[in-house]
Amino acid sequence: MFHVFYTNKITKKTDMNNPLIKLEQVNTWFPNNKSILGKPKFWIKAVSDVNLNIIEGECLGLVGESGCGKSTLGRTILRLAPLYSGRIEFMGEDIGQLDGKVLKPYRARMQMVFQDPKASLNPKMTIFKVLSEALHLNSSVAKENYLEQAVKLLDLVDLRPEHIFRYPHEFSGGQQQRICIARALATNPKFIVFDEATSALDVSVQAQVISLMKNLQKKLNLTYLFISHDLSIIEHVCSRVAVMYAGQIIEVQDAGSLFDTPRHPYTKALKNAVPIADPESRKELGILKGEVPKLSDPPSGCHFHPRCDYKKDICSKKNPIVYKIDENSWVRCHFQEELWQQGVLINSKESL
Amino acid sequence: MNNITLNKNLKPASEVEPVLKVRDLNVAFNIPRGQAKILEGVNFDLFPKEILALVGETGSGKSVTARSLLNLIPGRSGETKGQVLFAENDLLLMSDKELQRIRGNRISMVFQNPQSSINPVFTLGEQIFRLIRLYLSAAVEDLKQKTHCSQKQAIETIAKEKLNEVGLTDIKRTLKLYANEISGGMAQRYRIAMALISSPEILIADEATSALDVTVQAHILKLMKDLCKNKQTAILFITHDLGIAAQICDRVAVMYAGRIVEIAETKKIFANPLHPYTKGLLKAVPKLGKNEPLSFVPGIIPDLVNPPVGCRFHRRCDHIMNICRKQKPESLKFEDNHNVSCFLYKQNHKENRHE
Repeated sequence: MFHVFYTNKITKKTDMNNPLIKLEQVNTWFPNNKSILGKPKFWIKAVSDVNLNIIEGECLGLVGESGCGKSTLGRTILRLAPLYSGRIEFMGEDIGQLDGKVLKPYRARMQMVFQDPKASLNPKMTIFKVLSEALHLNSSVAKENYLEQAVKLLDLVDLRPEHIFRYPHEFSGGQQQRICIARALATNPKFIVFDEATSALDVSVQAQVISLMKNLQKKLNLTYLFISHDLSIIEHVCSRVAVMYAGQIIEVQDAGSLFDTPRHPYTKALKNAVPIADPESRKELGILKGEVPKLSDPPSGCHFHPRCDYKKDICSKKNPIVYKIDENSWVRCHFQEELWQQGVLINSKESL
Repeated sequence: MNNITLNKNLKPASEVEPVLKVRDLNVAFNIPRGQAKILEGVNFDLFPKEILALVGETGSGKSVTARSLLNLIPGRSGETKGQVLFAENDLLLMSDKELQRIRGNRISMVFQNPQSSINPVFTLGEQIFRLIRLYLSAAVEDLKQKTHCSQKQAIETIAKEKLNEVGLTDIKRTLKLYANEISGGMAQRYRIAMALISSPEILIADEATSALDVTVQAHILKLMKDLCKNKQTAILFITHDLGIAAQICDRVAVMYAGRIVEIAETKKIFANPLHPYTKGLLKAVPKLGKNEPLSFVPGIIPDLVNPPVGCRFHRRCDHIMNICRKQKPESLKFEDNHNVSCFLYKQNHKENRHE
């Protein structure tokens, strides 16, 4: 049914072991407060020194507090935010320096779904128009087949064909988000970034959208980057999770083990602050002191050190390097080995 | 003889009188399409020192309930019927002038978006000083006489003390800031401090932590819990996050399409949910550390201009019986502190179940 979408200009084969997306030393800095000569007085370092692989077919979660740079990282991968320095590889091709027409075919293979579906759909366009606009980017679909293709897309996201000539306001929030997903699928993407895509939805609707996402991933062999601040959702949806703090990724682990055996003090703090919907596991919610640092002036050394319970002198002086735990997980902390052996980070599980 | 029978009907002395009684609350809004019956027959009690969670999906009428408690729904756009009994007075019958003495004074409210509920053109200091002058004039006079300071100094001292209580630091600087200069967490603390200045008997928190990060949310929740204990304030906590309800609330009321379908102690409702909607809702919530498959309630919330006849949930319910389409289910007492509005639990209708 969906075969049309599997032919595309880019026919480079990717090895299953190879990452679909490879980020090397990616920096996204925004200039601020430009002087008369146009020189920025300071930079807002929204994303700094990010190294990350996204493996084909996985759902990678990206979690962190608001203002830590999660959304900017997602947008940087799609080249929607300006890349300051670094390398972005997509299907083995460096797309970091591409521009304009050369970038376009790659853009079509990467899509994004935003938080507020109502705001990301044009209120003056019918659903058919919304979808055909996106189909326009998919060169494998001829113009006379748009209607047929649009109906197929709606069917994929469990909407009925008679919905196609309606306007966005006639749908509920959950349905609108399905339309956004259908629009993202129209260009036959390989990779979709979900930027807080379920945060604006009710739990029951959220569960529906998540099960739809999971089904689509299997059906169409998609790779997801799922950005969220909600740890419970992340644990539920993702196979691997990256934790972000003040512009840096500080820990990457499998979703199954991350919250049971966190290696970074911040991951533990984040986990302890989540209220769990089960009164039997009632606990004193963990309090993380201090506030999220300003990205224009992040703390010296390890960005987390002013709020860390286990900090030592070195933390404020030197930015920790990445310590590999195994193939797909690593942590950025000076004392990860010590903390791991002492087991201080895991203890929280038993007290739970 | 009469006296004795009367006494039997009275509650035992050990039971505390509720501080707020809501009886048969109905709210309808006039919209171009007709009248939307947003609330229908909402009943609940709020006891002193307890935190009652009001949970439900968007559009279930949680916020309207909160607003109508203080009669904040303007008469021209909607109709509010029923009784809200506070200190033996019906708040819905009071004049605006009388209500003014209760709003913000004996019943306070904290809203979802803290930054937008702080006046952006005055400094934080000016706003809190004004409240202190309004509600704590006696305390200010007291302090003036004790320490022989000026009125301004006395007010500032009290403001600092109040802001200290909610965990704000560097207060001297904070008082000179404007709403746009502080973070969301700070703004919500400040709002809570303002809401608590008059030591209200009831605090209504309408999605007070929904716009905040989990780490900041943890602070605010702890703060509210402590305040509830220390100041004997009852809190009506409106939220869509069942995690919060499970962690800090004593009782939970579940709302669906303008009705309270189930109300019980937190532990009971999570361990043994009765109403099909509550069951569905609980299964849709992902729990950290327990990777259970999620399920969901199919369908959407009904149109409240033409709400379904009978039980408002019946179109989405798995256990639908004939009676559900005809009659409105009354609130039944399943056990102590556990009420549910569903025909499944009414003995007389057991035979209907298999129809």
